[in-house]
Order: sequence, then C-alpha cells, then structure tokens
Amino acid sequence: MTARDTILDALRRNRPDPGSHPLPPPATLGDLDAGRERFVASLRLLGGDVMERAAGEPLAAAIARHFPAARMICAAVPGVDGAIPVQDLPDARAADPVDVAVVRAAFGIAETGSIFLSEAQLHLNALAHLAQHLVVLLDPAQLTANLHTAYRRPEFRTARYGVLMSGPSATADIQGVLIRGAQGVRSLSVCFDPS
Amino acid sequence: MKDKRIDHAGAAAAFIADAPHLAFHDERLWDMRQKRDAQMHLLPEWQELRTLASQIKEHALANLPEYLEQFEENATRNGIRVHWARDGAEHNRIVAEILQARGATTLIKSKSMVTEECDMRPYLAARGITVTETDLGERIQQLDDQLPSHIVVPAVHKLTGDVARVFATHYGTDPKADDPRQLAEAQRQAARPVILHADAGMTGANFAVAETGTFVVCTNEGNADLSATVPGVHIATLGIERLVPRLSDLGVFVRLLSRSALGSPITQYTTHFRGPQDGGEMHVILVDNGRSARLGMADFWTSLKCIRCGACMNTCPVYRRSGGLSYGAVYSGPIGAIIDPTFNERKYSTLPFASTLNGSCTNVCPVRINIHDQLYKWRRVLVDHHQMPFVKREIMHMAGKLMGQPRLYRAAISGTETALGTLPRFALYNWLNPWGRHRELPHPVKETFHAWYRRNRSAPGAADTEKTKTDPTKTGRTKDTGQ
Amino acid sequence: MKVGLFVPCYIDAFYPRVGIATLELLERLGQQVDYPLGQTCCGQPMANSGCNSDAAAAEALFVRNFERFDAIVMPSGSCAHHVRDHFDAIPQTDAVRHVRTHTYELVEFLHDVLQVGDFPWAEFPHTVGLHNSCGTLRALRTASMSELGEPPFSKPMGLLSKVRGIRFATPARPDECCGFGGTFSVAEEAVSARMGLDKVRDHHDAGAEYIVSADSSCIMHQQGCAERAGIPLRFIHIAEILNGARE
Repeated sequence: MTARDTILDALRRNRPDPGSHPLPPPATLGDLDAGRERFVASLRLLGGDVMERAAGEPLAAAIARHFPAARMICAAVPGVDGAIPVQDLPDARAADPVDVAVVRAAFGIAETGSIFLSEAQLHLNALAHLAQHLVVLLDPAQLTANLHTAYRRPEFRTARYGVLMSGPSATADIQGVLIRGAQGVRSLSVCFDPS
Repeated sequence: MKDKRIDHAGAAAAFIADAPHLAFHDERLWDMRQKRDAQMHLLPEWQELRTLASQIKEHALANLPEYLEQFEENATRNGIRVHWARDGAEHNRIVAEILQARGATTLIKSKSMVTEECDMRPYLAARGITVTETDLGERIQQLDDQLPSHIVVPAVHKLTGDVARVFATHYGTDPKADDPRQLAEAQRQAARPVILHADAGMTGANFAVAETGTFVVCTNEGNADLSATVPGVHIATLGIERLVPRLSDLGVFVRLLSRSALGSPITQYTTHFRGPQDGGEMHVILVDNGRSARLGMADFWTSLKCIRCGACMNTCPVYRRSGGLSYGAVYSGPIGAIIDPTFNERKYSTLPFASTLNGSCTNVCPVRINIHDQLYKWRRVLVDHHQMPFVKREIMHMAGKLMGQPRLYRAAISGTETALGTLPRFALYNWLNPWGRHRELPHPVKETFHAWYRRNRSAPGAADTEKTKTDPTKTGRTKDTGQ
Repeated sequence: MKVGLFVPCYIDAFYPRVGIATLELLERLGQQVDYPLGQTCCGQPMANSGCNSDAAAAEALFVRNFERFDAIVMPSGSCAHHVRDHFDAIPQTDAVRHVRTHTYELVEFLHDVLQVGDFPWAEFPHTVGLHNSCGTLRALRTASMSELGEPPFSKPMGLLSKVRGIRFATPARPDECCGFGGTFSVAEEAVSARMGLDKVRDHHDAGAEYIVSADSSCIMHQQGCAERAGIPLRFIHIAEILNGARE
C-alpha cells in the first residue's frame, strides 16, 4: 500500500464519529469597525508607520523625505519618479540591494493593521522581504473590519502567494527584547492613496 | 529498557539552581501570559472564538481523510506536488530525494516542529545537504546543538550573554558584545547571503485549507517568506492534523493564534501559499508520524487540535521554573507532556507527572484541549502499562491498602497519637527527605483531630465512640467498614 | 440536614485545629454534624498518581462512612474535587453517586448551601492574602479564574469580607499554583519548593501578614517554604477565621 493509502486507511479506522462533530457555520464576530483610525492604531501597535504626504507632494518626494539615505528604490507601482520598476529585476536576488520598495496593497484589515500583498501587487514576491524598507500604498476604501471579513476577499482564492504583513519584521528571541527589522523589512510605512 | 526515562525532576533542579536564568525565564513567559490576557480582555467574543476553534478542529479531525483528499486535489490542481509520509524516516527520504534530484546542497528553512519530530537535519547533513535555520531563536538553538526549548520562542531559556557566546563561536562576533540589537543584526547579516544563495527553501505550516489547497505560515521575522520566495524550490512539511475545512475558518484561528502565543493581535507575517510562484516549484509533504494512531485514542485524540501557540507553556508554573529542555523532547510543557508519550511511552513516562494538575493550561488553550485532564488520564495509562518506577508503584499500592483499613491506618499514623509528628508510616522513608530539602516539615501536634474528637464529642455516637476504642474498624453506623 | 464531616489525612495529622474549627463552625451555624470515626482518606493520593485501582479501597470505605448523610462537608478543595470529579475506582452504585453529588468543600457549603449572611463572632484584625487552591479555583470554581476573563467573583472572599477588621493583600499572581500538587511535592521537590517560595514571597511583598486558604495541603507546603526561607508569614485555614480565631 502507498503511504497515502496507509495513512488515509488508518485515519478512517481510528477517527471519532463524524456525526458527533458537526462543522459550525462560518462566523463573523467582534468589532466590525473598518475605519481608518482603527487601522492606524493597530498598525502602530505592530510597529508600522503612516507616511503622510504634504498636499500635492509627489510620492517620490515623500519617500526621499522619509528615507534620505536610500539609494535604490524599486517600485511595483507606476508613477514613482526615479524608482526602478520591479519588472526590471531579473530574479529574486536582484532585489537584495533595494533600500525602499514601493508597492500597493490589495486591501487592509482594521483589526490588525495588516496589509495584503500577492504576486498580483508585487510581481516579484521576494521584493517585499529583501528590501530594507517597505512603503505600502493603500486605498482607504479597501479597508475591511477584521479577519472574519478579510477572509471573504476574493484575493485569497486567486493568489498563489498572499501575505498579510502587519508592521515590519520583528523578533523578541534574544532575552525578550523586541527588535524591529529582524530578517525582513526594517520598516513598513503605509501611505493612504485612493487608487 | 532501550529508552531511558527522562529525568525531568533532575533537569529542573539544575535549571532552578541557576538564579538569573530562572528569574528571566519565569518573568518573560509570565509577561507573555499577561499580554495574552490583555488581548483576551479586548475581545468580548474570546470564549466564543475558543469554542468555534475547538468545534472546527474536532470536525476536521473526524473528517480528516476527506479533507486531506480535498486538500490534495486542490493543491495539485494549483501546481503543488503533494507527498505523503507515514513517519519521520519517510519524510526525510522524500526531502532528500526532492533536493538530490535538483542537485540542491543548501536548504534554508523556517521553524517547523514536524521536522524536529523527524530529526531531519542530521539525516540531510549525512547526505551532504547543509540546512540553515533562519528563525533567530531556532538558529541560536541549531548553532548551540540544542532542541528548541519552547515551540514559539525556541531560545527563551537563554540570556543575551549565552547568545553572544554562541555567536562568537560560530559568527566570530565579540563574545562580550551582548546587546540584543547587535546580536540580531549579526544574525541578519549572517543569514542574508545564505538565503540569497540557497538552492531550496523549507517551511512548516500552521494551517492547511481543504477548500482551496492553501497552507498558511505565521511568523514574525519574515524568515519563512524569505525561505519560500527567494529560492526556486519551496518544500513545506506539515502534520496531517493542520487541516481546516474552509478559508473562513482561518478568521477564527488567526485571531486566536498570536494573541494566545505572544499577546499580539496577529503575527507580523501571515502568509498564504496556494501554488508555486512563477518559474518556481512547490512541494507539500503531509506527515503522519503517529497522528493517525493518536486519533484512535479515545482520551487523547483531542490533543491533535493543538495549533502550537505555546500558551500552555507560558502559563504553566512548572514549565516556567523547569525550562523546556528539562522535558527532553521535541514538544515540552503541558502539551508536550500529553503528546510525547504517544511517541515513546517509556522514555516520556515521567512527563505527565511533571505537573501539579492545576489546570491553568486548559484555561488558556485557544482550542480548548483539556490538557490537565489528559495529564491525569495519562498517569493512569502509564501505571497500567507498568511505566511507573517499581518503588513508587509499591508505595501507592501499600498506601491504598492501608487507606482501606481504618484500624491499620490509625495504628500506622499513631504509634503515638499523642506525639504525632510524622507523615503516615508508608510515606516516611520516601517522602521526608525530598520534602525537607527546601522546606520545613509541618509542626508536631499533641493529638490528631480523630483523637480530639473522641475525647470531646460523645453524643450522639457515644456507643460508637466507645466501641471505636476497642475496634476502630466497627466505627460507622453503616455496616462493615472494610476489614 | 444530617451533615457528615470528613477531615482529610493532612488535617487530621498536622492541622487538627482546622478540623475542630470546621466542626465548631458548622455547629454554631446550627448544623447537626457527625464525624464517622472509621474514616481515612478519599483516595486522591493514589488516584492522582495514576494508581487508580489502589484508590478503590479508600473510596469504598469513604462511601460506607458517608452514604447516610445529606451533605458531606470537608475543609479541603482537592478532596472535594476528587470525590466529585474523579472517584471512579469503584463501581458507580446509587450510594456512590449519592456521595459524589452531596460532597461539598466547606466554603461552597457555607456560601451556596447554608448561604451564611454573617459571622458575628468573627473578627480578624490582620492583613491576609487569600490563596485559592487549584482544586477550589479551577475545579470547584469557587472563584473567577484569571485565564478566562470572566466577571470577578470569589466565594471565599465573600465570606471573609464579613469578618470584622480583616484587610486583604492582593498578590501579583493571585491564581498561580503554589506547587504542592500531592506527590508532585516530593517527586518534583525542586520545582515544587521553588513555586512555594515564589508564592509566599508574592504574598509577603503584597503586605500579607497571613496567608489564608481553604486547603491545608497548600498551607502545609507554603508554610514549610516560608519557614525555611525565613519569611515572616503566618498561615491559617479559612475555617479558623470564620470560626472566630483572632490570630
């Protein structure tokens, strides 16, 4: 017998009575506030920032203001002057020298301050992790209240790679000290930007 | 006799003897418990979420064959290659075959408890494959050649100085430079080139969704995403009990997981893998390794609901004071103590006794596993299977006989009822020495309550009391008292 | 109501004054109390060690001693927990079921059954830290549990707050197990003693002069830890305070 059949066979023999364990209907619980204020509070709790732009300020200028030392900026969105388009990176390794990556999230979750990115937004998935800093454009109309409502989004059924990022990379593995920017991005800044 | 029993008590005593480590360990994990409490208080629906999580998991386990088949079908349709492994050896062989077929010699991986179960790293190392852990805590443990001591914070038993020493040895950093930020940066700098040049990446999985063929990985460092997206090959190992039926179920579990684990609303990264990225390949290995057998254990199958949050460890007063390594097993703490004996009854027979049965673990468990009830039940099973050391077993046997015979019992505890200063005789030799090592004995008293009662209360049982003096076994107004 | 008094082995041997206070308190409250002299143990030490079959004789004896009572009251949460929630080494006859469903820990009995409104004879002008044993807290549910975030309640606190002059100290980790755990206290003596030490320090740091508990086994352990460490705490069973002990 194959491993597959051995395992499935054993499970069929040993399982508890399925009739005694019905599946509860999908739940939508908790706070259903999908507002921007809630999102920002959650984002900050997890170490993310909001990148404010002065009225009429071009995105590239705001990024330059926030990251004055950045040399290589790579954008997965159009309209960032001076940025390298992500499409020009030949492979994942090419994203390693990127100082700031600029992407647009498909949506955000107010409960957790998370933003959703997939290959549809990133083109190169590793860009969101090899870059030192991440700037995320987010349409405030694309905020959803919490994780229950988020999982109704169609992206989860189409994306092959879909990450909810909630602030930057973090660790507390050394004596409990919280450190932002452990392995992935050192900072994550959300810039509200209606699409 | 092939497997020596884990000496949890001895290892714990050694851990406790090191005051700075003990103090930090206890406070750090208690802080995680308190942060978990704070998150719970923010969610009025907390208990309802726990109930739902439990129901979904129990349903999924009762229907696991169907959900695994559904998962396999969907994942395969999405371009994932699905493998099945009956045990650790088969799992390791599959990993090696995938890597060798592609000429891969370097593998980067994020945390996976299943690969620890399978003892995969030595197997691959023997075949010329270099495995590098990318989670900071896990990497520290790998470099120090220790098991993870906690399933969420693997190096929580170490202080900064310990990490500085490990990094000095392996990364050539200054052993005196023990600033956590510098150490974390050293890891980032050391890991990055390894990640960039790895031939393949490996992750575990927290959840797998039958409905879509998705698997979900939750991390804080982003190392799983690096491991999965930078190399062209991604292998994910997951225990077959990770299955949930629907995408919507993730809403329940993701809300509970990090809140229970670390007291944060969500992990920094919650990543959904549904298929290989462009030009890459993706493998999923579904591992049994004892799980299908555990599903058949009426008292213990619900331990398969575990989502590996570690909340039971954080709240466990024994774990906090003994350290995860004292359990001598891949899974430590309360959940480990009920899972480990399914892997090796003799070796892990001491672990269900490393508990006061206080029940805090059960209360914090986000999927409502009755952990302390299972600890209690494991004790029975282990005794029934002759896994309790002979002397202890005999003491209990004698105690049980004595407690059934009031006359003998009274005689045993009161060679002199008037100068009683000892525990019952059956316990004398074995109990008093360990008791008195760090504690004073209870104070002697003039007489037992039993003797006082006989002196001070006569009516309405005067006749009985009188009789008792000559034959305490005929005490009760009820028939026979057990001779 | 005919009340049967069960005095667990530790109390019988080391804390007879707790048994006396329990008896006197129940009598003050107008109860007709009998203490069957043939009693020994509820079977818990054997059962908790996994040696369930060895608990059978003690459990059978317990039933024979107490089946004729309307209520079986004991100043011990862990024994009440054993009788009510485990106690299955013997066949579950009607008599066994009766005993198991009519067993009460003292605080439960006072609070839920007798619903005692006040203790006019009781005065305790000291600061006390309340130790809820895990048996009373998480098994018998005589107080709210911090892990569940439920609305706060405490039956022992409710009773104690009716005592004149009493003040309460609140430890930082009120629900933490003290580490007694029956045979755990010797099998894992290092962890057990450390938990006990941390527990008494927590109460002492919170300003407690006394630790009060409904479980003498926890007290025996904590007292041993405090005395060894030279921590000036005193220990008292809740029955003693409610019965009017002054110190």
